[in-house]
Amino acid sequence: MAEMSSPAHPLSHTRPIPAGHHGRPGTAGVVARWREDLAIATLAARHGGEAALAAAMDAAFGLALPAGPKAAGANGVSALGLAPRRWLVLASQRPALAAELAGLGGGAVTEQSDGYAVLDLAGPEVRAVLAKLVAVDLDPAVFSTGDVVASSLAHIGAVLWQTGEEPTYRLLVGTSFAAAFSHTLLAAAAEYGLDLADAGRGPEAGRGTGRG
Amino acid sequence: MRIPCPFCGSRDAHEFSYLGDATPRRPDPAAPGAEAAFFDYVYLRDNPAGAFEEWWYHAAGCRQWLKVARDTRTHAITGAVLARDVAAPAAPTPAGGETAR
Repeated sequence: MAEMSSPAHPLSHTRPIPAGHHGRPGTAGVVARWREDLAIATLAARHGGEAALAAAMDAAFGLALPAGPKAAGANGVSALGLAPRRWLVLASQRPALAAELAGLGGGAVTEQSDGYAVLDLAGPEVRAVLAKLVAVDLDPAVFSTGDVVASSLAHIGAVLWQTGEEPTYRLLVGTSFAAAFSHTLLAAAAEYGLDLADAGRGPEAGRGTGRG
Repeated sequence: MRIPCPFCGSRDAHEFSYLGDATPRRPDPAAPGAEAAFFDYVYLRDNPAGAFEEWWYHAAGCRQWLKVARDTRTHAITGAVLARDVAAPAAPTPAGGETAR
């Protein structure tokens, strides 16, 4: 993999940067890991059906759909508010998520598991690195755990979700942008050092992010 | 320039696409004088120096249409609402009219 990402390779930007340590030697300021185990779907309430959908989500998952750009989670299922009456739903170890949501009958569901590449981000400098990339204030006074932002990072449409206080983040970009975004992330994080881990799910771990 | 998206919060203008004047309403094609009203609706626009209402699309965020109030002299934005909340069918008025809201 590494040889494919050499800056000298004419198509190096079409390949994600390989797993491993990048940038400044030593302890990494940013620790990133691809996630391949998440089922993802968009959920949109039908006109006038918001209350029925909220009730169905509560009954099925014990999850209260957030009203704004926030995340709500319960029983391994998370809903991220992307727009009025529209959410991105993520779940681990629940491959039939989209079918389950469609079975609720209250909303329009689109399967997105292969549509998004997902990165979990942590490390002491992760906020500083993300602050370079997204034109939204990430200061803890105004952006904290559970907050979600749909925006563009380096002209790449992305959903950013602060998942923990340290802080930790989960970032979603379109699958076809995963390679380009990985180079953007490296460019931003190199001064602090970047540790990138594969999804680590066996031979198929690279599926969906174009690694190989 | 930053636009206060009602859903996403304050965002840089580069996340948005601009459409234009938010005041024209499609005329009733069955009404008398519809041809003149459509000429007005399609082609004629005011170009005010001052308060203006215009459509913006939050393409990089919530993908909602917004009706934004902007001062064309200063670019000061005094408000933004979701189009879905204000674009209910309204009485047809000519483009460039002063009462279209």
